[in-house]
Amino acid sequence: MSASATLARRRGRAPGGPAISGVRAAVLFGGLALLFALLGGRSLYLQWFDNAFLQERGAARYSRELELPAHRGRIVDRHGEALAVSTPVKSLWAFPGQLEMTDDDFARLARLVDVRPAVLKKRVDDADNFVYLAKLLSPEVAERALALRIRGLNEETAFRRYYPGGEVTSHVLGFTGDRDAGQEGIELAQQAWLAGVPGSRRVIINPRGEAVEDVASIRAPQEGRDLALSLDSRLQYLAFRELKAAVEANRAKAGGLVILDVQTGEILALANLPAYNPNARDRVARERMRNRALTDVFEPGSTLKPFAVAAALDAGAVRPDTPVATEGGRLTIGSATVHDAHPAGTLTVEQVIQKSSNVGAAKIALKLPAQTLWQKLADAGFGTPPKTGFPGEVSGRLRPAKSWKPIEQATISYGHGISVNLVQLARAYTVFATGGELKPVTLFKTGAPVAGRPAVKRETALAVRRMLELAVLPGGTAPRAQVPGYRVAGKTGTAHKLEGRGYAADRYVSSFVGFAPASNPRIVVAVMIDEPSAGQYYGGTVAAPVFSAVTGSALRMLGVPTDAPVDNVILPPEGAEIREET
Amino acid sequence: MLALDASLAWATLLLLAAGLVMVYSASIAVAESSSQTGHRSWYFLARHGAFVAVGLAAAICAFQVPVKVWQALAPWLFVAGIALLAVVLVPAIGRSVNGSRRWLSLYVVNVQPSEFMKLAVVLYAASYAVRKAAFLHARQPLRQTILRGFAPLFATMVAIGGLLLLEPDYGAFVVIVAIGFAILFLGGLDWRLFAGLAVLLPVALGAIMIAQPYRQQRLVAFLDPWSDPLGKGYQLSHSLIAFGRGELFGVGLGASVEKLLYLPEAHTDFLLAVIAEELGFAGVAVVLALFSWVIYRAWAIGRQSARLERPFAALVALGIGVWIGVQAFINIGVNMGVLPTKGLTLPLLSFGGSGIVANCVAMAILLRVDYENRRVLRGYVA
Repeated sequence: MSASATLARRRGRAPGGPAISGVRAAVLFGGLALLFALLGGRSLYLQWFDNAFLQERGAARYSRELELPAHRGRIVDRHGEALAVSTPVKSLWAFPGQLEMTDDDFARLARLVDVRPAVLKKRVDDADNFVYLAKLLSPEVAERALALRIRGLNEETAFRRYYPGGEVTSHVLGFTGDRDAGQEGIELAQQAWLAGVPGSRRVIINPRGEAVEDVASIRAPQEGRDLALSLDSRLQYLAFRELKAAVEANRAKAGGLVILDVQTGEILALANLPAYNPNARDRVARERMRNRALTDVFEPGSTLKPFAVAAALDAGAVRPDTPVATEGGRLTIGSATVHDAHPAGTLTVEQVIQKSSNVGAAKIALKLPAQTLWQKLADAGFGTPPKTGFPGEVSGRLRPAKSWKPIEQATISYGHGISVNLVQLARAYTVFATGGELKPVTLFKTGAPVAGRPAVKRETALAVRRMLELAVLPGGTAPRAQVPGYRVAGKTGTAHKLEGRGYAADRYVSSFVGFAPASNPRIVVAVMIDEPSAGQYYGGTVAAPVFSAVTGSALRMLGVPTDAPVDNVILPPEGAEIREET
Repeated sequence: MLALDASLAWATLLLLAAGLVMVYSASIAVAESSSQTGHRSWYFLARHGAFVAVGLAAAICAFQVPVKVWQALAPWLFVAGIALLAVVLVPAIGRSVNGSRRWLSLYVVNVQPSEFMKLAVVLYAASYAVRKAAFLHARQPLRQTILRGFAPLFATMVAIGGLLLLEPDYGAFVVIVAIGFAILFLGGLDWRLFAGLAVLLPVALGAIMIAQPYRQQRLVAFLDPWSDPLGKGYQLSHSLIAFGRGELFGVGLGASVEKLLYLPEAHTDFLLAVIAEELGFAGVAVVLALFSWVIYRAWAIGRQSARLERPFAALVALGIGVWIGVQAFINIGVNMGVLPTKGLTLPLLSFGGSGIVANCVAMAILLRVDYENRRVLRGYVA
């Protein structure tokens, strides 16, 4: 008997209960101790020896690589004015199965995102396993939506392209589509420059797909670069406004306007109609999206005459004062006849341009070998694309001289049987504006004068410039192209439109191409109005006023010194007929 | 002043304190994401803190009660426990969570009678073994032992087992059976009977497990959690991942990923997995050491009582040791994938009011037994 038991008995406590076996207690304790040792060993195994496998399994569950969207570069004009910017927007999405929304929630969310609750509900009900409840929300609205604490509602960040200029710059810029990739225009052509490279980071997500912890940044996003265009916002707005007014006033089908910097070859403005709003283009017809000035061709008509004359002057076949008999307005070549609508007697070469005589131009052109004429036209950039950097620009058609018949050589001299685009035509006029050089044109800002390619002799260019000045004076076809304070030079064009295999009798393309100031040309402006149908159709009445308005404002905006008194404009008496060959 | 068993008291308080911290850490994400908690991150912390406070108050009261009184009350407490277990099953009164009807709703809190039943079983089995000591021993004919010593308790255990399995609460059933038979074993039940039981019991438990499909699934999931890690093996696989991520010293307090809604029941049944992830093997080892110390002290106090010829006190002390030991082992074993999943909390640590209060009262009784032992040793009346 142990000492303590004896003690207990002495205290008057008789042993009544079971004697608790020390062996059994030891066995039980030993058993429990063994189990705990087992747990300790198991813990060490899981946490130290086998943890690589478990960690790998864990990573598969909640480690994700997230894409970090890269900001797309801005497109700015030559003065840094924003033309296209990317702003962050949010979308609200959910897995319908995990979404817990009461009718109250639907009502509140619907009010925030500005739709009817029923519409919202239908979106959720119609979705199978993923649904966008709202897209393209401002970050503020998305934040307020998340503050509703609707279980299962998630947000997603994306960038939305915004074009502050809307339709004014729509054709040049184009737009981006899915995943912020360029789809049209400069956005498409300069995708590689503008687009950033998305980065990625490794995060831990919770079972709802929310990132809760950044583990590592695998690749930092590379932001896109900004792009400066040659456009000048002020001139672009001016060009668009005036063109729109003219297209509406003449109830025309379409129109185009290009302003070129004579020294640098930069396109300062390029406007087209019809236009569209790139910020809301859900239901815009594809044909409104065409940048007609670069992607469409037309027969230029009389605006081509100066090049035929220049070719003849350059070859020494004529001089500005060489008389040309216009044969009473009829010239028969083979089975075809060239007409003048307003027959005159004998004109000088200068007057052929001033009065725009088809017969005169044809006779001058026929003095040259076909190849010589072709070469001069090719040197002026016809038949080759203008290479502005815009996708899908066309080259126009200038057939090889070998295939020309005499009648074709005659018609090409006044702009039929050849096709051009508007930018090409404007570029060609840099030959006269610079004194014989064809300037390369571009849509990107260069800011520095660029060397041109010699096209005609300097004397020739200056002589033709003088003729083009005459054309806008009251004795010419386009007095309405005059600009107060500046001497201008230019040429009208009025061409029948091609229809099937022949020419349409009553559908015209009216145009005017010119430059100013004539004493030291700074800009070339080309205007084209397609199918004016409000009664007037001569380039001198439809396109010339647009040229005048745009050129005057543009020169003043550019701060170009005047080279004529402000009262230099002399318009013919009201009602006097403006004569022009078509 | 007759000192308490200071090391036991401190171990208990340390476990309670660690539980408070870890319950908070493990429950933040769940509390913030649920509208039932009003998105308040401290929801579970506040409740658990209140439970611990109530538990400590109950412990102080329980400590004042002499062991003799516990002995006298034992049968009544036991009857009351059975009654509550029966009441839980009444649909209008019992509250069902996750398909188990285990709780009585008392407006402010839900009471889980099975937690208190564990304590009642410790007291009752000890008093039973003392009363029936004469019939337990091998000196009797075997028939007499079975009929008068073993059968009555076995019958009541079967009845309790039946009630618990109706809830169902398989975990509590296992713990209660373990306590009951451990006390009979220590009380001197004829070893031949025990040998027979040792064979029969695993068969019975196995049969119960296979009888119900959801337990069968848990068994499959337990044997190979990676065969269906997103389905049946979901919970266990996440628990194991938590252990693997923890390594030796853990990812740091509060930095667990598994608690972010991946691991279900992170703040109750799977609290140890969060401890393993945040505090590593070191944290798990400390928890195991504290439990080992509590069990060791229970054994020492029980052996001391036996030497002082206080058999009821001895069996109560040992019974409490078995309770804490077995429940901790099962919970930790489940967390580590050593045992199939059961709904058992980690004593003194996991979130749960009834469990915390019942555990605190048990520890107080253990301390009371020790206190009385010291008085007896010094010649006072217990």
